[in-house]
Amino acid sequence: MNHFNSIRELLNTLNRGHKLLAELFEKRKSLSYKYEYALDVLDGNDDIIQLLINKDIIRQNGNFLELDDQFLQFFEQILEVNEEINTSYINENIRQVKDEYMLYYLQANSDGERYKYLKAVKSSLRKIGRITVRNILDLSRNIENTFKTEPNYKIKLSKLEVHKQKLTAIQLLIEQTEKLITEDELTFFKTASDEELRAITTQLRLELTESRQNLIETRKQIIEYINQIKYQSKFIEKLRLVKYLRDQYEIKAKSNLVELINNNKATVFESKPSYPLKISVNYLQTDAGYEVVKKLSRRIKTGIRPSVQIAEVISQDYLNPETEKEVFINIHEVKNSFTAGGNHLFDFLMNYKFLREVPFDERVTVFCQMISMFEEDFDVTEKFNRYNEIEYAVVYPK
Amino acid sequence: MSVPKQTGEIFDLLSKGQFICSNSSDSDIRKLFDVIDDKNNFESLSEYFKAINFVLEKGDEFYYFSRTESKADLERKLETAFRWIDLIDFFKSFDNSFASGYQVTPSEIAVKISVDAVLKNKADGIRNVLKLDDKTSYPEIVNKAIDSLIKDGFAEMENEILKSYKVLASFKYLEELVTNINIPENIQNEIPE
Repeated sequence: MNHFNSIRELLNTLNRGHKLLAELFEKRKSLSYKYEYALDVLDGNDDIIQLLINKDIIRQNGNFLELDDQFLQFFEQILEVNEEINTSYINENIRQVKDEYMLYYLQANSDGERYKYLKAVKSSLRKIGRITVRNILDLSRNIENTFKTEPNYKIKLSKLEVHKQKLTAIQLLIEQTEKLITEDELTFFKTASDEELRAITTQLRLELTESRQNLIETRKQIIEYINQIKYQSKFIEKLRLVKYLRDQYEIKAKSNLVELINNNKATVFESKPSYPLKISVNYLQTDAGYEVVKKLSRRIKTGIRPSVQIAEVISQDYLNPETEKEVFINIHEVKNSFTAGGNHLFDFLMNYKFLREVPFDERVTVFCQMISMFEEDFDVTEKFNRYNEIEYAVVYPK
Repeated sequence: MSVPKQTGEIFDLLSKGQFICSNSSDSDIRKLFDVIDDKNNFESLSEYFKAINFVLEKGDEFYYFSRTESKADLERKLETAFRWIDLIDFFKSFDNSFASGYQVTPSEIAVKISVDAVLKNKADGIRNVLKLDDKTSYPEIVNKAIDSLIKDGFAEMENEILKSYKVLASFKYLEELVTNINIPENIQNEIPE
């Protein structure tokens, strides 16, 4: 029944109730939108609710409100959020294009008429492409959702099977559409050589190719999901049987469990092994080992006190002081006697009578030592003399 | 024969009846898994362990040891298998999808026990295998059940603060074990639905 006299009236009505409609649309899944909530949303304006109900935009069910199915579908389709995959829609479109528009086009007499049908064909073809792609997207999302959120295994499996059928239906439609534009209606496409039509068919073909490729992936996904669920439910079923026998204490007699377990040699069945290795004797003799023994002895509290072994007395011989004499050359004294004499240093040192016998090498060392120590007190001349292998500076006291 | 330098660690874990799983949250264990998973390493390790009577077994995303000659006695093995069957049954009743990769907190299970009579019944059922008395509270039973899984290497603690646990890939070992139990068809028909 049509409640609206013009599109303007429809738009106005929708506009008046837009707050409530948006709210209802968002909560379309919850099925329990109360009349009171609606009143709150519209600030207590009951008239709008009544208007929307009268115009069949929303429906009242006891104390609950819901969006009319026609509008719900319309919104969902426009917003591309529909979850239902409707293949019959495309089917109908294809049929219409093929059996009606194309035929009429060929039969039409005037250009005006022909143009009308051409336009219808174009719009249908455009729609088919878009809807196919959307259907596939919706389908894969639905599959994913079903797999991840449906708690009941049996329902999940049936739902996935239904999705699989839809997938096959979509595939069939793609094939039909392709056949339509490449084989069946060659006459039409030859006759109606319109630039836009060609662009649309090319676009459609691209979309169909893409859809077909997407379908392959989706099919793989759905088969994997179904297999997983089948494995899971098979496992659950098996577990139920096993558990039943176990609870009846019959499992040993009525299954091959004993044999199976007997043949299973996995270490997971064994008790956690410890390896009681003998302690390393070498380790015990170290300081660290001694600490460990001490710690252990404290814990065990044996009462055995290890007697500390006393070392032997140190022999008195080791304690007696020993003296060693060394004749030390007093350089200061040597210097004093040098300053008193008039000889130059090297000559003086060669002839100097030390307290002990001093070899030539050491005398040369003393020479160098004295010069470096008393450089200030000596007069080091530029004159050099030679003695044996040595060249030395002639040094006089100041 | 050259073996990877982690061989000692691998032996330590596996010889204690533990598993090395690909989905462990411990990065060291994941690394060990990668080491074994390398084809060359797997071969040399298998050969190496074979020399000391351990068979390196490859599961679906996990590794474990078995022996050429079993050391555990049948009695003990059966007892373990029974405990596992009861535990799997308990956790699967909590959630059908309880399997490798599943994350769970003990409180989730405890909450479900209080509203689900079947699960409560199963929780009472596992008191025996976990050697708990009748006074043990349900949250305690759940904790003990999870502890038991952890001890046998089928789960691990994932987050200490949130007290969340993760089921490891080795859980598939249990599933395989149950799947491999063969019940003759005529006996299957005797079991009520």
